[in-house]
Amino acid sequence: MAHRVDNEYDYLFKIVLIGDSGVGKSNILSRFTRNEFCLESKSTIGVEFATRTLQIEGKTIKAQIWDTAGQERYRAITSAYYRGAVGALLVYDITKKQTFENIQRWLRELRDHADSNIVIMMVGNKSDLNHLRSVPEEDGQALAEKEGLSFLETSALEALNVEKAFQTILKDIHQIISKKALAAQEAAGSGPPTQGTTINVTDSAVNTKRGCCSS
Amino acid sequence: MFGTQVRGVVEDDFNHRRRRTLWNTPAASMPTTTHTIRYSTPRKGHANAHQLLAKFEDLYGFMVEGNVDDVNVLNDVRERMREQGRVWWALEASKGANWYLQPRISSNGGSEGVISVTSLKLSVLTNTITLRRLIRKGVPPVLRPKVWLSVSGAAKKRSTVPETYYDELIRATEGKTTPATLQIDHDLPRTFPCHSWLNSEEGQASLRRVLVGYSFRDSEVGYCQGLNYVAALLLLVMKTEEDAFWMLAVLLENVLVNDCYTDNLSGCHVEQRVFKDLLAKKCPRIAAHLEAMGFDVSLVATEWFLCLFSKTLPSETTLRVWDVLFNEGAKVLFHVALAIFKMREDDLLRIQHIGDVIDILQTTAHHLYDPDELLTFAFDKIGSMTTNTITKERKKQETVVMAELDQRIRRLSSLKMDG
Repeated sequence: MAHRVDNEYDYLFKIVLIGDSGVGKSNILSRFTRNEFCLESKSTIGVEFATRTLQIEGKTIKAQIWDTAGQERYRAITSAYYRGAVGALLVYDITKKQTFENIQRWLRELRDHADSNIVIMMVGNKSDLNHLRSVPEEDGQALAEKEGLSFLETSALEALNVEKAFQTILKDIHQIISKKALAAQEAAGSGPPTQGTTINVTDSAVNTKRGCCSS
Repeated sequence: MFGTQVRGVVEDDFNHRRRRTLWNTPAASMPTTTHTIRYSTPRKGHANAHQLLAKFEDLYGFMVEGNVDDVNVLNDVRERMREQGRVWWALEASKGANWYLQPRISSNGGSEGVISVTSLKLSVLTNTITLRRLIRKGVPPVLRPKVWLSVSGAAKKRSTVPETYYDELIRATEGKTTPATLQIDHDLPRTFPCHSWLNSEEGQASLRRVLVGYSFRDSEVGYCQGLNYVAALLLLVMKTEEDAFWMLAVLLENVLVNDCYTDNLSGCHVEQRVFKDLLAKKCPRIAAHLEAMGFDVSLVATEWFLCLFSKTLPSETTLRVWDVLFNEGAKVLFHVALAIFKMREDDLLRIQHIGDVIDILQTTAHHLYDPDELLTFAFDKIGSMTTNTITKERKKQETVVMAELDQRIRRLSSLKMDG
C-alpha cells in the first residue's frame, strides 16, 4: 500500500491548524510552506491552505496544511474542515492566557469532528515575545503530557521550531501509517484480520497517490 | 497607476465626523483626465511577459498583484465605467436629477387626477425596470452612496430614528470594553492591510467606530469576523461613517437572511445548505463530481457569503455584485457563487483532489477583474431563481440546521462530562 507510485509523492497528509483567533495560525502556515512571515496579514475567514513536499524517513510526503477562522462562532461550521485530517496543530499564544485555557475546548472539537486516530500536537506560539509571556512553558508541557500530546513552543516570526513542529507531527503520522501498512501486510499473509483489528490505510484519512492514469 | 488617492480633510470636531468625507476614491467615472497605461500583447516567444507579476493600485486603492492581462482588463473596466457614467448622466438629464432615488413614485404623479393613476403606474414600472437594468450594468462610483442608501432601504431605516442616533450611539460606546470590542481591536490591523487608508490610524479609527457602534446596536450579533471586511469596503464607498453604518445595518437586518452573523451563524449554515441544493439543480454535473469527491461547498462558500465576496473578488467586481445585491436582495449571492463554479466547469470536472477544487475556485475568484464577465454568467447562464423558491428552500433547511446545531451542543457537553 505504501509503495511509491509516481514521482510526485508517496503520501498526502492533511494537517489542520486550530486555535483561538490571533494566535498566529496563518503565519505558522506561511512560515512552514513559504518561509514567510507577514506582520500585516489578513484575518482568515473561510479556509486557506498551502502545501509543501518534504522527505520524511525516506518517503516523499506532501503536507497539506489547512487554516481557518478562530472566532468561537465559526467552530460549528468546520466539520468539512476536519474531514480527512490525519494531524492537527493545536495552537495557543504564550502571551494570552485565555488562548491556553481554551485548549480543552479545542480538544473537544477535535474529538467531536476528527478521526479518532488523528495525531495532535500542541504548539505555544509567539515565543519571541518572552517578556510578555503569561503561560509558562512548564504549564504547556504539563497539559500536553496530561492529554498525551506532543508539545513545542514556536515563533513563526523568528522561524523558531516551526519546521521542527511539522517534522515531528509528520514523522509521527508516518510511523502510524507504516505500522498500519505492516499490520495490513501481515494480516494479508496470515489469513483474514482477527476481529477487532482496524485497518484503514486507504480510508479518507490518508490519500495515497494512485496510478498515473487515475485522473 | 490607477489614479491618485486624495485624503479627506481632517476635522477633529466630533459632530462633523459622521458627515465628513473619509476617503476619496480614484474617480473612475468622474470626467477627469487620467493616464492609462496599456500594455501591448507580447509576440510569440515572449509569452512569459504574461507571467510577469506587478503590484499596482486597483480602482479603489487596494494594492494588488496581477499580470499584464489583469492590468489591461482593469483599464477596459475603467473605460466601461466611464461610458456607464455617461448613460446615468444622460438619464438624469431626461428624467430629472435623482429620479432613481424613488423609482416607485413618479415625479409628476398625483397632481392631475384620475388619469395620473395610470401614468403613475406606468412610470413607476418603467423606472423600476430601467433602474434594475442600469444597476446590473453598474452604478457609477460617485452615485453609489446615494443609490445604495435608497434602493437598499437604508435611507428609510435611518429616517425612523432621530438624526443624532449615530453620534449618540458612538458616544455611548466610548471607553467600553466587551468581547466584541476586543475582537474588533484585534482585527482592525488585519482588515485589508494592503489598503493605505484602511491601514492608517484614521481609517482604523473610523472602522472601529462603525463596528463597535453596530455591536452595541445588535448585541445578538455583537461582532462576527468577516464584518470587518464588509464594513471597511462600505466605508470606502459610502465616504461617511454614518452612511456606512446604516448600510451595514440594513444589510444585516433586512437584505441578508436572519442570523447570518449571530453566535452560531445559523443563518450562514442555512445559506450553505441552500447553495448546495442550488448547485445540484443548476450545475448537476459539477455537484455530482464534487459530491463523489467528498467536497463540501461550505469550504469555499462560507467566506463568500459572510464577507459578501469582499475578501474574494477584486474590489470593483465586489462592488458591482453589491450594486445588484442591494437592489435585488440576497439571492444575488447564490447567482454569483454558482457563476464562479460554472465558469470553471470543465476544469472542476477533471480535478480529483479537494485541495485542487479550493485552489481553482479561489484563484478564479481572485482574478475576476472583469465584473461584466462574472455578472453575465451569474444572470444569463445560471438562469432565473425566484426569491420565493429560495425562501421556501431556506424554511426547509432551517429545521435541519437547528437540529444539527442542537445535536452538536449535546455531543460537546457529553464530551465535557467525559473529560
